[in-house]
Amino acid sequence: MSKKPTAGPALHKVIMVGSGGVGKSALTLQFMYDEFVEDYEPTKADSYRKKVVLDGEEVQIDILDTAGQEDYAAIRDNYFRSGEGFLCVFSITDDESFQATQEFREQILRVKNDESIPFLLVGNKCDLNDKRKVPLNECQVRAQQWSVPYVETSAKTRENVDKVFFDLMREIRSRKTEDSKATSGRAKDRCKKRRLKCTLL
Amino acid sequence: MDFDSPEENEFPGLYASEAADAKSKKSKEESDYSEGDHDKHSKKDLLIGRRKDKKDKGKDRGYAALEGESSPEEELDTKSPSKSKKSKTFKFTSSKSKEKREKSRDKEKETKPLEEEPAQKTKDKEREKEKDRHHDEKEHKKKDKERKEKDKKEKFEKKDKKDKKSKQLQQEDGSAVEEVLALGYPIFGVSISLATERSRCHDGIDLPLVVRDCIDYLQQEQSLKCDHIYKVEPIKTRLLHYKRLYNNRDNDASVDDIPTACSLLKLFLRELPEPVLTTDLVARFEEVASHPKVTEQQTELQQLLEQLPKCNRTLLSWILLHFDAVIQQERYNKLNAQSLAMLLSPTLQMSHRLMVVLLCHCANLFPDVKLIKYVPPLTSSSPGLPDNPDDIKTELRKQDSLLTQIHSEMNAGFITKKREEQLWEVQRIITQLKRKLRSSEKKLEKSIDELDSTISAPPARQSAVQPADLKAPTNPSAVPTANASEDTIDSKSVPPHRIAPMQQLDELSIATSPPPIEYTIDKQTGYMLLSKTNPQRDDLLRLQIEYDELMNWQNELKTRILAERNEIFRMKQFYEQEILKPLVAPTISQEQLPSEGDYERIIEHYTRENALLEHKKQMLGTELKEERRACIALQVELRMQQF
Repeated sequence: MSKKPTAGPALHKVIMVGSGGVGKSALTLQFMYDEFVEDYEPTKADSYRKKVVLDGEEVQIDILDTAGQEDYAAIRDNYFRSGEGFLCVFSITDDESFQATQEFREQILRVKNDESIPFLLVGNKCDLNDKRKVPLNECQVRAQQWSVPYVETSAKTRENVDKVFFDLMREIRSRKTEDSKATSGRAKDRCKKRRLKCTLL
Repeated sequence: MDFDSPEENEFPGLYASEAADAKSKKSKEESDYSEGDHDKHSKKDLLIGRRKDKKDKGKDRGYAALEGESSPEEELDTKSPSKSKKSKTFKFTSSKSKEKREKSRDKEKETKPLEEEPAQKTKDKEREKEKDRHHDEKEHKKKDKERKEKDKKEKFEKKDKKDKKSKQLQQEDGSAVEEVLALGYPIFGVSISLATERSRCHDGIDLPLVVRDCIDYLQQEQSLKCDHIYKVEPIKTRLLHYKRLYNNRDNDASVDDIPTACSLLKLFLRELPEPVLTTDLVARFEEVASHPKVTEQQTELQQLLEQLPKCNRTLLSWILLHFDAVIQQERYNKLNAQSLAMLLSPTLQMSHRLMVVLLCHCANLFPDVKLIKYVPPLTSSSPGLPDNPDDIKTELRKQDSLLTQIHSEMNAGFITKKREEQLWEVQRIITQLKRKLRSSEKKLEKSIDELDSTISAPPARQSAVQPADLKAPTNPSAVPTANASEDTIDSKSVPPHRIAPMQQLDELSIATSPPPIEYTIDKQTGYMLLSKTNPQRDDLLRLQIEYDELMNWQNELKTRILAERNEIFRMKQFYEQEILKPLVAPTISQEQLPSEGDYERIIEHYTRENALLEHKKQMLGTELKEERRACIALQVELRMQQF
């Protein structure tokens, strides 16, 4: 639960997407509580909040762990709409999950209507490299197509787990500052106009 | 609004042809109430009349007089999006049909100016009636106007979302007065089931939240005892303010004064498109109410209540029990069944007599219903989550219900920043609750596992016991203590097995005893014997025998424990006596003292030996238990043969 009202530290909303069983919950739980859960239990939807220090600044991260199964697609849109950044996860040991990322990407773009939404392509289960089904270069090509970063993680060994969340938060943050600049820029313009008028007078 | 049949929207003139004959049907009823009733109703009643007639053509309409009093049509009207068309069609048809409607026609003419200005005239005529209805009338008219405008603009819009937008547009125009919904899904003016669905109480009681909140507030003792209850008018703006809050699901602050709570409840009831007792059944309720025999009334009412939709029944039960609570406090609030029925029967669209009858029977009609104060789902600002697994589960159910509602509303297009925040928050609380539940379940499992392991083969115990043995291997009292503790554990292991059959037996006897099942008591054993044809006969018998056997075993173990305890006591005494004469022992031991290395080796040897023996004993113990259990099973089968 939030301990402070929203007036406190900045809040970044991250959404985990990807097919069922690729390790979205495992990544989330590893990030949140440093625990690795072996047994698989399908998620319907779970949400977490954590305070973290991002480049010396205290921020809050809201993580929404969504269902991979299509059965819950109906409620997914409601969440996608309010997400500020997305971790699109697949398993490097499962080609189908990699193919599915395409669809998730499209879905997100449809809801957010924004090509440059903070987004990371995440290949999970990199500890199982011997069972790899998705070649690394294929993943990188796709990431390049979308012009998003590609990171391989392991929820089991915690490899790159913090990295993906922090990288995404950085993207969200820079995105937000850009947006606020844009709006304040407009405000400045208005000021200028007013000043112009004044000088004219 | 959104729930109205789309064809009306699309084809405004659809019902025009029906209007004529509906009107002539209605006109008689109309004359019943038009004398003392609001003028504008005559028109509205007619309009709805045809809608209603369409529905229940040929049905018995013996309750028409009632309707006049409380004018359900008005409510129906408010929720209809086709107002503008109606007035048009009305003019059109009224010019056609002229028979014996002079009076009403005059009034119809009046309705026009009336609609522009708040119902001043009606006020005079209605003094004896409920006062606050006027507010609603005004409100309805405003709403009507609003809708008319809207309908003109968007006659052919079908989707709710568009409806919503149009309302927002209106807000921008400033044309909408008070009833601007952020959401195209109001709570007021829709059917009970819709209202319940749209603003749920998340604790499983199917009441619209507004009803629950009002009743909760009014059920407080000081409210019930207050003599303002159901008598004093609220401040109109306040009332409408709350109505809007509930319609927008924005009700963070619930009602906090008695007149507003009463009127809000009444407003909700009055705006229902159909009476709580339903259009179909209300006439039959009235019949029962006029039944001379009070005793028969109750059973008949019971039967009728069974036929009501579930949410109607729930709503009815709650309001009646609440009203009953009000009249219980007659001493303070000066309201008895008669006077309260006088005030509220029009709102409920039933006769005074019926309401008095319902009030008189309500405690018996709804014996299971308890007015429980609503505790809404927790929010992030709540102090903390529950710890008790049962509380967690209850809370989880509430949160799930809330989440489902948020999702369905969002899917229907009701999306605001606030809603989205709430969605994440609720989701977060659910996740936390689930984690908490899981960890508490795991803890429970662990403790059960531990219990099991200590019972069957306690490794922890063993290691705990061994050091004691080690420290004083020569101490004679230590060994029996360990033994005794083992035995106590053994005996502890019995109760679960014993309790289970006992419970089963209890359940069985409870389950079997209420119906007149024939059984005999065996004189020798005292067993309950069912007739031979009963399929449960064997089960029951087996359980009884098993119970006996297990009881025997338990007694046996108990006596053994007692014996062991006595032995411990005896040994302790012996030990103390030995300590009192210490000088003899050292001399002997000194003589036998071997070298350092030998000493260590011997200790090691005995330690290992002891551990081994302890383990063997453990194994034998479990084996013994298993054998004993098999014995009992056989014994049971054997004795079964005797019967």
